Amino acid sequence: MGGLSGNATALRVTVAILILLAFVPLLHSGYDENLGRSVLMFATLSFGWNILGGYTGYVSFGNVVFFGIGTYTSAALWQHWHQQSIPLAIGCAVVVAVAFAIVLGIPILRLRGHYFAIATLGIALATEEIVANIDWLGAGSGQAVRPLEAFSSYYFAMWAVCAASMLVTYLITRSKLGYAFVAIRENEEAAAVLGVDATRYKVIAWAISAAMAAAAGAVFAGANGFIDPPTAFATDDNVFPIVMALLGGVGTVAGPLIGALILTAINETLWSHFPQIHTLFFGAVIVLVVLFLPRGLLWLMNTRGGWRGVVAAFGAYRL
Amino acid sequence: MSDAGPEPTRRTFLSIDNVAMYFGGLHALDGVSFEVERGAVLGLIGPNGSGKTTLMNVVSGVLKPTSGNVRFGGRRIADVPVYAVCRLGIARTFQVVKPFANLSVRENVAVGAMYGRNGSRRSARASFDRAQELLEIVGLARIAERFASELTVPDRKRLEVAKALVLDPEVLLLDEVMAGLNATEVDAALDLLRTINQRGTTLIVVEHVMKAIVSISTSVVVLAEGKKIAEGAPAEVLASPRVIEAYLGARYVKRQRQRETDA
Repeated sequence: MGGLSGNATALRVTVAILILLAFVPLLHSGYDENLGRSVLMFATLSFGWNILGGYTGYVSFGNVVFFGIGTYTSAALWQHWHQQSIPLAIGCAVVVAVAFAIVLGIPILRLRGHYFAIATLGIALATEEIVANIDWLGAGSGQAVRPLEAFSSYYFAMWAVCAASMLVTYLITRSKLGYAFVAIRENEEAAAVLGVDATRYKVIAWAISAAMAAAAGAVFAGANGFIDPPTAFATDDNVFPIVMALLGGVGTVAGPLIGALILTAINETLWSHFPQIHTLFFGAVIVLVVLFLPRGLLWLMNTRGGWRGVVAAFGAYRL
Repeated sequence: MSDAGPEPTRRTFLSIDNVAMYFGGLHALDGVSFEVERGAVLGLIGPNGSGKTTLMNVVSGVLKPTSGNVRFGGRRIADVPVYAVCRLGIARTFQVVKPFANLSVRENVAVGAMYGRNGSRRSARASFDRAQELLEIVGLARIAERFASELTVPDRKRLEVAKALVLDPEVLLLDEVMAGLNATEVDAALDLLRTINQRGTTLIVVEHVMKAIVSISTSVVVLAEGKKIAEGAPAEVLASPRVIEAYLGARYVKRQRQRETDA
């Protein structure tokens, strides 16, 4: 039982790492704190992507929309109502994002496979363009979000959002809901014949996914102090979480955080050593992951496949 | 499952009313009608491409018919979505089995226990217990922890039956569950189907193994090119020249008649 959570040891180790991450602000290093918050933010986005992409099998290239909605909710709260409470921003961002996910999800989630992926990409591009033309949201020039006095509040808020996302993922894998998601991923028609209302559960998966991304966006806006369309709908925030889930392990609880840690580490190292061409190396890493670890590191630790799977993948490409 | 006692019902249990299913110019089903009584075992036969699987898809809600309807317990169900048809009490197996490859055998069946009929009242744990009971009935309990992708073909067929049975169906549609089984396995499968039927489940069986159809069916419907060409008691229907013609061709029947008159 409990077959949806992934490897139990890996999960325990990841929880331990997450707990350690809570103490980063005690180092009193601005660099470490920013880096740590970035890891937590990407992990949260990756947890969100994983609910729909990893567990339900619907690959979205548009989750940054909900991150953007979160940042703009936070910015609007400050600009128009002078509210800067982080819990309030997270709460409002989640409500707005879930509403959008339901409205967009009902038509879009009828599409499958590549068509769904392309539709989500279209939504991401369109949303950025629409927001850039809304004066109330600062249009193309963006909006300031006044930071709180105690800057580390944003770190702890991001940590809490990340931990909550991981906890929610874990609880889903232990519940009936998780089995509805996975049944849809494995075979949507067979799932429907067993009584799973696929449309309903896909929309629920997308709404949960959106809530996580929006919560991360709400905290990011405050920490960043300024929001404009290219920041709120950044390509990095769209693509990195997907690669992180792929690297760590799609459809596992621990995968996104492990992926976020490893990828951030690689990215930082490459950036500091090869500032001009680090994106090239980074691209190569992504290609290698997709070729040889298509389901991520955590799947190597499962009973099947194991390291032999990697060797087989190498063999298949005659390397 | 209710006691099998025949209830004095005025309305038909399950009826197929003038169902047509067109795929572009292809008439996969063309005005098919028949009725199924509660507790019956209906054998549905016909040559390849005669529309048997299409009819299964229409009855289970996977396909919406071009015209006509299916009535179940007095309700028209052609427009009811698949997941809801299942909750009304119609379950099916797929001819091309569709296991959830990355889930264990028990998890595969548990999904049906969670979301099928009576599923809303079951917790995740209770669903796993219920799944285990079904695995014992179909003989897969020993390998409940294996991934579905690791099963042999006969075991995949068993898993398919367990996934349908866990839905507590009133009507069970079986699409070639015996294909690829050897003689002993066919006998075991027939015993299982008889047990299921005696517990009150109505069966509609699509099968190419004629021995199986004759031994288990209370009545038989024959399809050919999307039309119903015969209906009745198994032995009678299988002896009818029209059915033989559909299976073996007009020339065979003519030669057969020639031989009979010669003799």
